[in-house]
Amino acid sequence: MHELGIVIEVVKQVEQFASEHNVKTIDTLVLEIGELSSVIPRYIEEVYPMAVEKSMLKNTKLKIEITPGLGKCDDCGFGYNIAQNNRTCPKCGSHDWTIISGKEFNIKEIYTA
Amino acid sequence: MENFRVLEIQKRVYENNDLEAEKLRGELKKNRTFLLNLMSSPGSGKTTSVVSTINILKEDMKIGVIEADIDSDVDAITVSKSGAKVMQLHSGGMCHLDAGMAREGLDIINSEDLDFVILENIGNLICPASYDLGAVKNAMILSVPEGDDKPLKYPKMFSKVDVLLISKIDTVSVFNFDFEAVKERVTKLNPTIKVFAISAKTGEGMQEWCSWLKEEIIKWNTK
Repeated sequence: MHELGIVIEVVKQVEQFASEHNVKTIDTLVLEIGELSSVIPRYIEEVYPMAVEKSMLKNTKLKIEITPGLGKCDDCGFGYNIAQNNRTCPKCGSHDWTIISGKEFNIKEIYTA
Repeated sequence: MENFRVLEIQKRVYENNDLEAEKLRGELKKNRTFLLNLMSSPGSGKTTSVVSTINILKEDMKIGVIEADIDSDVDAITVSKSGAKVMQLHSGGMCHLDAGMAREGLDIINSEDLDFVILENIGNLICPASYDLGAVKNAMILSVPEGDDKPLKYPKMFSKVDVLLISKIDTVSVFNFDFEAVKERVTKLNPTIKVFAISAKTGEGMQEWCSWLKEEIIKWNTK
């Protein structure tokens, strides 16, 4: 029940934005989800139609842009994709890293007619 | 092809919750109420630890407890026997609370008349870690039977809390639990974390935990 609650919150925020900016119809909602954000795009897509059912986002398209989970190795300084390398530095094998990107979970933009 | 206008929103999804939490913390400060957000997995001894904590502190302050669960009121009934003011919050199937729900609980329990409120969060080590509830301190319980590998599996929770209570230490002879390994794993994720080892059943470690807590409550409620 985690993703549904999140998407309902997203819907509320988009509706608020729309009313503040006098937007009447929305075609597409674009979300930005980081690979290290613990939000799973597949589940967001699955619950989206249910979450928007009674809102102005009904029948809109959902577009998800994934930001890569990039980090820098704390030991050798090598930059690599943490999410795709099993959280292990491919150069020196260290498990210590500092995240550079991929924690985002943002409402990026809407396309309106 | 239709032509669309792109309107940039660029807003963090959690932003509304974080603003609400910050507002709530300000109100708690004004009313001299200390809110503790207590998180753990189900069955870690959260309710038993809450009751023990109340029993030690209840002479010194007015305490309230908000019990959050998906369903039932068994915990609220148990805790109400300690003499603290208790209310049951149902999340309606949701796996976590947000600042709005915390506010609802605080309103119902009349928190402005209380010195200390414990919010017993839903038993879950994952989702509650993402939500600021406006608490003054965030604590979590890891019980010995759950195992010393949990900081490796749920790093976000361990890295976000101010305090870790290792509970059920009276069972350590039955389980393979390495305290030093936990401390090392946790400190790596969270260098400023306070760790207390407790047994609500035998009372071991409860005084140390409660003296630290009492000091923090006094600090918040007087400054």
